[in-house]
Amino acid sequence: MKSSRTGREGLTAYLFLSPWLIGIVLLTLGPMLYSAYLAFTSYDLLSPPRWIGLDNFRRMFTADPRYLSSVRVTLVYVVVSVPLLLVLSMVLALLLNKGIRFLSGYRALFYLPSLMGASVAIAVLWRQIFGGTGLVNQVLSLFGITRGSWVGSPGTALWTIVTLNLWAFGATMIIFLAGLRQVPVELHEAAAVDGAGPIRRFFSVTLPLMTPLIFFNLLLDTIHAFQAFTGAFVVSRGSGGPADSTLFYTLYLYQQGFAELKMGYASAMAWTLVIVLAAFTGFLFLTAKRWVYYGDER
Amino acid sequence: MRRRIGTTALACATLLVFAGCNGTSVTNDNAGGGSDGKDGKGEVTGKLQLTFWGGAARAQKTNAVADMFVKEHSGVTIDRQNADFGNYFNKLNIQASSHTLPCVMQLQGRQLNDYTKRKVLLPLDPMIESGAIKVDDIPKEIVDTGRGPDGKLYFLPYGAAYDAVGVNQTMAEQAGVGLPPDGYDWTQYTEWITKASAKLPKGTFAAGSRGGLPNFFIAYQLANGKQLFTDDGKLGFTKESLVEYWNMWEKLRTAGTTMGADAQADEPEGAEQGFIAQGKLLTDSIPGNALTPASATLASKPGEQKLTTLPMPSGPSGGGNAMFTSGFAIPTNCDNIPTAAAFIDFFTNNPEAGAAFKSDNGAATNQKVLQAQVDDPKLAPLKKHELELYQQIVAKKPPTILYPPGYQATFESAFTRAYEEVAFGKKSVQQAADSFFTEANAGLGG
Amino acid sequence: MTSVSIPTRRALLGRRRTTNPFVIGLIRHAFLIAVLVVMLYPVVWMVAASFRPSAEVMNSLGLFSRHYTLDNYKHGWSAGQLDFSRYFLNSIAITALSIAGNLFACSLTAYAFARLEFPLKRVLFGLLLATMLLPYHVTLVPQYILFNELAWMNTYLPLVVPKWLGVEAFFIFLMVQFIRTLPRELDDAARIDGCGHWRTFIRIIMPLSLPALGTTALFTFINSWNDFLGPLLYLNRPELWTVSLGLNSFLDVTGESAYGSLFAMSTLALAPIVGFFLGAQKLLIEGVATTGLK
Repeated sequence: MKSSRTGREGLTAYLFLSPWLIGIVLLTLGPMLYSAYLAFTSYDLLSPPRWIGLDNFRRMFTADPRYLSSVRVTLVYVVVSVPLLLVLSMVLALLLNKGIRFLSGYRALFYLPSLMGASVAIAVLWRQIFGGTGLVNQVLSLFGITRGSWVGSPGTALWTIVTLNLWAFGATMIIFLAGLRQVPVELHEAAAVDGAGPIRRFFSVTLPLMTPLIFFNLLLDTIHAFQAFTGAFVVSRGSGGPADSTLFYTLYLYQQGFAELKMGYASAMAWTLVIVLAAFTGFLFLTAKRWVYYGDER
Repeated sequence: MRRRIGTTALACATLLVFAGCNGTSVTNDNAGGGSDGKDGKGEVTGKLQLTFWGGAARAQKTNAVADMFVKEHSGVTIDRQNADFGNYFNKLNIQASSHTLPCVMQLQGRQLNDYTKRKVLLPLDPMIESGAIKVDDIPKEIVDTGRGPDGKLYFLPYGAAYDAVGVNQTMAEQAGVGLPPDGYDWTQYTEWITKASAKLPKGTFAAGSRGGLPNFFIAYQLANGKQLFTDDGKLGFTKESLVEYWNMWEKLRTAGTTMGADAQADEPEGAEQGFIAQGKLLTDSIPGNALTPASATLASKPGEQKLTTLPMPSGPSGGGNAMFTSGFAIPTNCDNIPTAAAFIDFFTNNPEAGAAFKSDNGAATNQKVLQAQVDDPKLAPLKKHELELYQQIVAKKPPTILYPPGYQATFESAFTRAYEEVAFGKKSVQQAADSFFTEANAGLGG
Repeated sequence: MTSVSIPTRRALLGRRRTTNPFVIGLIRHAFLIAVLVVMLYPVVWMVAASFRPSAEVMNSLGLFSRHYTLDNYKHGWSAGQLDFSRYFLNSIAITALSIAGNLFACSLTAYAFARLEFPLKRVLFGLLLATMLLPYHVTLVPQYILFNELAWMNTYLPLVVPKWLGVEAFFIFLMVQFIRTLPRELDDAARIDGCGHWRTFIRIIMPLSLPALGTTALFTFINSWNDFLGPLLYLNRPELWTVSLGLNSFLDVTGESAYGSLFAMSTLALAPIVGFFLGAQKLLIEGVATTGLK
């Protein structure tokens, strides 16, 4: 009796899943497997792939300094931009939280950059702001500071991409903001009665309750940061320059695959990234137990 | 939550296991489909796909020509595609991967051999023999820029661009240096730059930081009579000549004569927004056809500065100019060769078509078409200067460069990057030249 | 900003408490407005530049000009082979079909993962998450080959059909998370009333999932509207072009660029997304609230 019920439920479930299953088999798994196969080949798009075993991977780690430099750029970007993004979003969410007036107006305006996508117009804007005679330098010159182009110097170009990413913090902020609204007022009041100041209350009441959201944002933003492409692509016009300072992992992958016609190598790069991301995600989930607070568990 | 990641890992592992057993290799080869009419003869009818790079302005002109062709040949319809230069080639490569290259596809010599090496283009010579495509009015040197390493013609150049030395005449006069003398060489050019530099107003520079510009370097090598590439597609010039060239630029840059490397990296895209168009530079290497749009920007600014273009500096071996031609090719997967051939011929040779396209992508290669434009009294003086300078250069029979496969992707980007590393102080000139040679030789030809 | 209040509050417990909220509020607003000004300056600059004569577009970092003009809008709108009214219509069609597709496929899939028991559930859910880790450039070529074999070039199918097949795993994940927060008792009550899964899904879960659906719709809107690579690859004919392809055609390294028109049309292109966002804002807030909670 029971088994037939679960059997029927299973059937229903697969009915519900059918569009997704067709999609994942045809549009995702098929291409994924194909690209996994390509990772072991030399494939120039124009002639059939040729099996070369592990050569792509060997080249990546031993004979391609640009690959290693793209790894370095991406790691710096992840380590810098993700925490900054989380802190900035959290601070602004806190500021917007406590029954502030014009909340929806603020929220909408802070969200605006997230709506813009990374279009050609943004690329032009970014150069206007961070160029040698750009807005930032003009403001700095009011304080007697003169310096060169931010976009054009290898030392600072990456930071303009970090800023571009931070600029769209609205999406992350909105998640925090929504979470803050669910922190029970009673807990805060109780803590205040016990003499805890606002800072103490934030760290002992709000923050623990927010850890699931921080975890979620950390996970998503890190995956995004590892896969970051468009910002660097539009600002550096696809070059990853100056002097490879904004050569992100996926940008280099794209260059190798579509400009240098090394699709096999690009696929090998992609799968290396997938493995790293899977490991990172796994690691994050393992640590989650130690610091993420799920309601009644603790 | 934690269990979920276990399954993720499992899923990944499963995928990796499967990975070994091959994907669906899709290589249904259309090549040779429509093998009839490889000489371009046959009925001109049916569907045709046309693809080219360029923005809205060029698309408008190209479409006008395509419409004229359709009007002349009832039964023909043309699908047109265009994208900006960078995206154009990425898209073309993806189309090539599925054997769906459009029948009429635009190419330059710089990318040509990426495609000839993989044998995805049809030789046009049989079509010339049969008379489907005519080259009688095109200078031989220009036609030759469409040839592959096997000597066969793979694209028919319709427009020939050249790079020139742009000079802001007004600034030159104000600095009291005038123009560089006729037939000036590199030494005279750099001396002229240095001399002007001291007398330029604040915020302007004598020249851009241009050691990383591939076409400028090509001009330098040609003027010195050096070969650029060997027959097997490797670098043909010596490391010493590259070091010498970069040292020349570094001397100018470190003396503050040229713009800084970071400022150079800021330059906006498009001929009308370049630094010379903004009045920030006395001289710079610009595409010959950038004179008109750049002058228009300068004219809109206070001071009404004027711009002109000169041939590239010469050297012991004469002029340094090379021709960068654009033209149309026909891929092997094309199923409507007669119509494609007829269109290419029309686009390149028809006087009305030439008049409508107005030498938008380099001067018209067909000399009758070009002469008609030059003689047109309505032709703007600047445009006339562009076209006349072209005629002057082509009269000197510029050398043809055979670019090896990988040129655009490997050589150009590696060259620019290597000089950036010098200019930003990351490497010495010698180190950068070493790593450039390693990288370029690894990526070229193969 | 909250930290500003600590010493004062400790020192003067009584009277200051009544004035504090006002002062703090003022400081808070001032700070927020300052951040907003910095953040939005580029956007405002773009809008202002779009009204300047084309020779002045890139020249000034200020917002104001002596003469404003609508020329950029006029030229921009009719630039290219067809005008932007066509591109806007195309973008709207693709975006609408994409939203409908994502809502359809993702909600069905999410319901199954959140509420139903079936063989291989864990494996499939793991697979779902794994697909979020793959950079999309890798599947580009195989997908292109596939769509080409299906003769889907120059149709909206390659851009839209994947949405109807739930290819965007993130939205499924988001909806699964949301549906899990809905009390199971509702389902049970529906079951007792004789509803099957289908009716429970339509009558109970979907209406309650409006925030998650709204969030999905908004994100899909942003993605589809701004997508460049997809339309570039699959739509060749100008009459099929989208707004983002139209915008790209204003820049041309080998010819002339038109920054004034670019900014004007970019401003217009932003309007529908902003409108949609303002409409869906409430749903978005509730929708994202739950995504990370479980």
